[in-house]
Amino acid sequence: MDWIFLAELTVNGALTGLLYSLVAIGLVLIYKSSAVPNLAQGALTMLGAYVVLAFSHNLGWPLWIAIPLAVVIMFFVGIGIERVALRRLAGRPIVMILMMTMGLDIFLRGTTLAIWGGSSRSLNLGVSYDPFFVGDMLLSRIHIVGAAVAIAIFIASVLFFRTRMGIRLRAISDDYLASWSVGISVEGGVALSWGLASIVAVATGVIWGEVQGVDQSLSLLLLKGLTVAVLGGLDSILGAIVAGIILGIMESVGSFYLDAIVGGGSRDLIVAAVLILTVMIRPHGLFGRHDIERI
Amino acid sequence: MAQNETNLDDLILSLNSIEVMYDSVLLAIKGVSIGVPRGGMVALLGSNGAGKSTTLKAISGLLKAERGKVSRGDIRFDGKLIGDISPQDRVAMGICHVIEGRRVFEHLTPDENLDAAAPQSMSRRKIASEKERMYEYFPRLADRKSSQSGYLSGGEQQMLAIARALMTQPRLLMLDEPSLGLAPFLVAEIFGIIQRINKEQGLSVLLVEQNAIAALEIVSHGYLIENGRVVMHDTAESLKKNSDIQEFYLGGGEGKNFQDIKHYSRRKRWLS
Ligand SMILES: Nc1ncnc2c1ncn2[C@@H]1O[C@H](COP(=O)(O)OP(=O)(O)OP(=O)(O)O)[C@@H](O)[C@H]1O
Ligand SMILES: [Mg+2]
Repeated sequence: MDWIFLAELTVNGALTGLLYSLVAIGLVLIYKSSAVPNLAQGALTMLGAYVVLAFSHNLGWPLWIAIPLAVVIMFFVGIGIERVALRRLAGRPIVMILMMTMGLDIFLRGTTLAIWGGSSRSLNLGVSYDPFFVGDMLLSRIHIVGAAVAIAIFIASVLFFRTRMGIRLRAISDDYLASWSVGISVEGGVALSWGLASIVAVATGVIWGEVQGVDQSLSLLLLKGLTVAVLGGLDSILGAIVAGIILGIMESVGSFYLDAIVGGGSRDLIVAAVLILTVMIRPHGLFGRHDIERI
Repeated sequence: MAQNETNLDDLILSLNSIEVMYDSVLLAIKGVSIGVPRGGMVALLGSNGAGKSTTLKAISGLLKAERGKVSRGDIRFDGKLIGDISPQDRVAMGICHVIEGRRVFEHLTPDENLDAAAPQSMSRRKIASEKERMYEYFPRLADRKSSQSGYLSGGEQQMLAIARALMTQPRLLMLDEPSLGLAPFLVAEIFGIIQRINKEQGLSVLLVEQNAIAALEIVSHGYLIENGRVVMHDTAESLKKNSDIQEFYLGGGEGKNFQDIKHYSRRKRWLS
């Protein structure tokens, strides 16, 4: 048994897992304020990457301008989604809103495909691909950068939900009618959560765009993100981080051993198994509140 | 019977023959007129399904969340028509509705419940002093201010729902069946606090209750609503003496068993 190799698998798995956490945090931000799992978070991530790409490659602007600009634009895209697509659904059954986010996912994928085509492009963040050793372990620099971004966004989110505005958003997801009754702007709160989730989508899109190139497959990150969010508990930011690390390690170490037996492709099986088992055994996840079916 | 000599200017709230429709077909309120004097306490009594909650929702604007609509008549707060104002702006004007079923924010602490309801423009210091005031009114909440609100007792949740509403700085507080499911001593405690705030702060109160005994002890006037219509309006004193009220709401009917009363109530609807 090669312990260094196992350690390397574990650490790289945890780092990749933290990149999944980025997607999950976007989901949790919206769930925590409106109790809706946003099935378009993957597509938003992809859109975020394309917007950065449009500024940096199509217009040739430097990344330090392109990324902040994309953040601002995507924030308003998120706000706009609430205003145009979701506001009229306020108070409707949760399935309606869920279907709307799914429609949004399809719409965003179709639109980006029409504009940017299907070929993969690279972002060129400038993160070096030279081998990076910690002790004897070989690690990926971009994954380390991504994990740091995930931790930073985690801390910012935790702090945000303790502010007055953050408390209001949590109140909305608890009971929107009671929120209305004390004058909380439910629509404004939900819009803000979409705006914030769209900002997180830019960060996620930039990191993942660097890892695997910018193309339609970025939208599939939804599946990993959703699995992590469900495992962590849909309304728990901490859960998104912890579950991301757990899923990442299971995927990396597990697939190494399983692939040898089944001959490859076991990563997706592991993700599917985690999702299904969580829903069956512990539907509120590791850290989620118990009555997640309430709206 | 109706003693409506109160000048309109003295009313903080007046409803002028309003009708409310749900889903554009179901007429739940059929011409209700009521008034709440400035600084006064008024009760709205009636049995299940009479239209009490619907009336409050029409006033607070929460009807919109249930696809309900005021289809006729007008509602004035402080003399201003409020029909087209959003629920949020009505709260800002000073109307706050404590909805039925003490719906506190269960996953927030009582302290956070109060924070959530504080107006956006309220300063940090003012929020802190307002919260102190609430804990002074409701000492039971002070002891539990950092626990999860979903685990508070029914009485504590009702107190929290009222304190949360008071954080919005209302001039008119509307309470929908605050006594529901609470032990009599708790009802007395809560009503006592409401009465105290009414006296000290001049807060106007519109109290919806099925528990007429408790309600008529603290209000000056009461309206009785049946089938979406006001069928009686009088001072609390006269209402307490009224034989019909005694029979159906105070449990004072003698020599009649429950079945007789139900039967009787179907025949007689107080519709003269
Ligand atoms: N959201 C709704 N959609 C359709 N009809 C409704 C709705 N809410 C209430 N109603 C109907 O309106 C009428 C009045 O209901 P309301 O809730 O105002 O009664 P209430 O006096 O508050 O009764 P309770 O004492 O049981 O709370 C009832 O016939 C009820 O069925
Ligand atoms: Mg009611």
